[in-house]
Amino acid sequence: MSFLKIASAHKAYKTPEGGLIHALDDVSLDVRNNEFLTLLGPSGCGKTTLLKCIAGFEDIDSGEISFEEQSLKGVPAHRRPFNTVFQSYALFPHLSIANNVGYGLDVTGVAKGERNKRVEEALELVGLAGFGSREPKQLSGGQQQRVALARSLVLKPRVLLLDEPLSALDRKMRENMQIELKNLQHSVGITFVFVTHDQEEALAMSDRIAVVANGKVQQLAAPTEIYDEPANEFVANFVGTSNIFSGKVVAKDGALLTIETANQRQVLATSDRFGRGDHVELVLRPEHLKLAPSGNGIPESCIDGTVEASVFVGSDLHLHVDVGKGRTAIVHHRHNRGDDGERIEAGTSVKLYYSPNAAHLIKAIGR
Amino acid sequence: MLDKILNSKIWATLFKGYGFLFLGFLYLPLGLIFVYSFNANSINMAIWTEFTFDWYLTIFGGASSQSSFDAAFTESPDRIFEVVKHSVIVALSASTVSTVIGTATAIALARYHFVGKRFYQALLVLPMIVPDIVLGIALLIFFVGAGFKLSLLTIIIGHTTFLSSYVFVVVSARLAGMDTSLEQASADLGAGPITTFRRVTLPQIMPGVVGGFLLAFIISLDDVVITYFIAGVGSQTLPLFILAMMRRGLRPQINALAVLLLLFTFVIAAIGLYLRSRKS
Repeated sequence: MSFLKIASAHKAYKTPEGGLIHALDDVSLDVRNNEFLTLLGPSGCGKTTLLKCIAGFEDIDSGEISFEEQSLKGVPAHRRPFNTVFQSYALFPHLSIANNVGYGLDVTGVAKGERNKRVEEALELVGLAGFGSREPKQLSGGQQQRVALARSLVLKPRVLLLDEPLSALDRKMRENMQIELKNLQHSVGITFVFVTHDQEEALAMSDRIAVVANGKVQQLAAPTEIYDEPANEFVANFVGTSNIFSGKVVAKDGALLTIETANQRQVLATSDRFGRGDHVELVLRPEHLKLAPSGNGIPESCIDGTVEASVFVGSDLHLHVDVGKGRTAIVHHRHNRGDDGERIEAGTSVKLYYSPNAAHLIKAIGR
Repeated sequence: MLDKILNSKIWATLFKGYGFLFLGFLYLPLGLIFVYSFNANSINMAIWTEFTFDWYLTIFGGASSQSSFDAAFTESPDRIFEVVKHSVIVALSASTVSTVIGTATAIALARYHFVGKRFYQALLVLPMIVPDIVLGIALLIFFVGAGFKLSLLTIIIGHTTFLSSYVFVVVSARLAGMDTSLEQASADLGAGPITTFRRVTLPQIMPGVVGGFLLAFIISLDDVVITYFIAGVGSQTLPLFILAMMRRGLRPQINALAVLLLLFTFVIAAIGLYLRSRKS
């Protein structure tokens, strides 16, 4: 039985100028029970709209959203077994923390004794035991966040929808909350649908990521697959940094392909999905480009270039390397303590090596 | 150069002087009424003879202790009590009805989308800018045409027409400052529309609703122009009564009555301002 299923969902908004924005353009998505699914995309890509349609705050124009085979069409938000954690937390300012957390239990008529017990448990779960009598405005952003979580979790929803809940927190707090949220999801065993524009957040927390752009799901896969095998150029660029070169497969030897790039260079890649004559985009992650051959006997590709700029960021040295015809490759060179003498200045000629296994190929669009 | 002149001591003193002058212009007349309400001279208000509480006493039915007091200069306490009662009935009823209508309209316009919304919005603000005298005449024509007998009821209906606009504006401002995700959160947590209104929306906009009510109350309490047209025989309100008293000459009791009305209005306005300024 499918759990939460979105099938060919469409939704368009009218702009004040009279145009149409397709916030959801044929979105199909199967959310599995007990998984941590992240909707990742740039702002305005439709991810929040999708969340609101699932929650029931907005309706889709066509298509279907169903839960356990039951269509949710016409089911108002307050009758859906989902709860939302809002970006602004949306805590009721006129109610105490305990009454905020107990709100859902109060309006559904849960008996006083049980209500108080569950509120206590929920506050304990998020590490705020004893905060019940305070007002929302007396709490820090991180604490308000936890109250919002407790307020939703206390109702034991089947799906918890989280709309960029960490975006208002500072960096340190955000990283702590990422781990906590993930642990929480494991311990309560509730499906989380998490919306974010932060790719690191998505990679760190999710069981699966749906990359959304222009109202469409670009790729739905596990974090490692999204990073290692992006389905298209958008995903390759949006998740992590990518060096992308267009080219054509000119030779094939088993899984080892020789690709001729626009710069008339011959480079290697491993793939069994492409053959001679195919037009491809070669995706290389900056950390896979090395300044020296590995020397372990595997045939490696080599690209010549000139360093344009070198930026020290702490753990790495980021090199912008001109590889000819105005194309720049970005290289992340691991920084070793005491390496100062090797610091690479702009203008230095370098050779970039990579293992063909590290290269990912995607089909060139429009060929 | 200009900065230097403007920053010089003379200018600072001049500006300060101007400020005091302006405030004096605003408040001296009120101060005069206050002072003269304690003046025992019943023939010429502007000439101070001696201090007395008698004008206040006569309002509440006390007898004057001074020989110069003449019954011709005072109104009977029964009459005063009657018009005050009229004013309070009108102000309470009209502002209550207006608060319900104004609040409901503000919510409808803030939360729902429908055809002609902008037009409706403009129509709602219109009664505030229509000249009172025009509105008064229009209401009179309407009531007479519709066969209403002019009474307290017609005053209440008449006041409600434009007071609803004031409440609408005040409550709308409050609604605009309210996070709409609060209502979504309430629905999300399982509350139906009525529960959400009762438990979330209403508590959030309450300062605006009460502020709107109090504003409507004081506007109704001292309205002269519109009330003048739509008040019938036996439904005179306090402002109309004072106006009628004035026709028979400036009399000291008016001062005392005016001071009492002023104090009452100040208290209500202060409560209203306090509630409106309170942050959620």
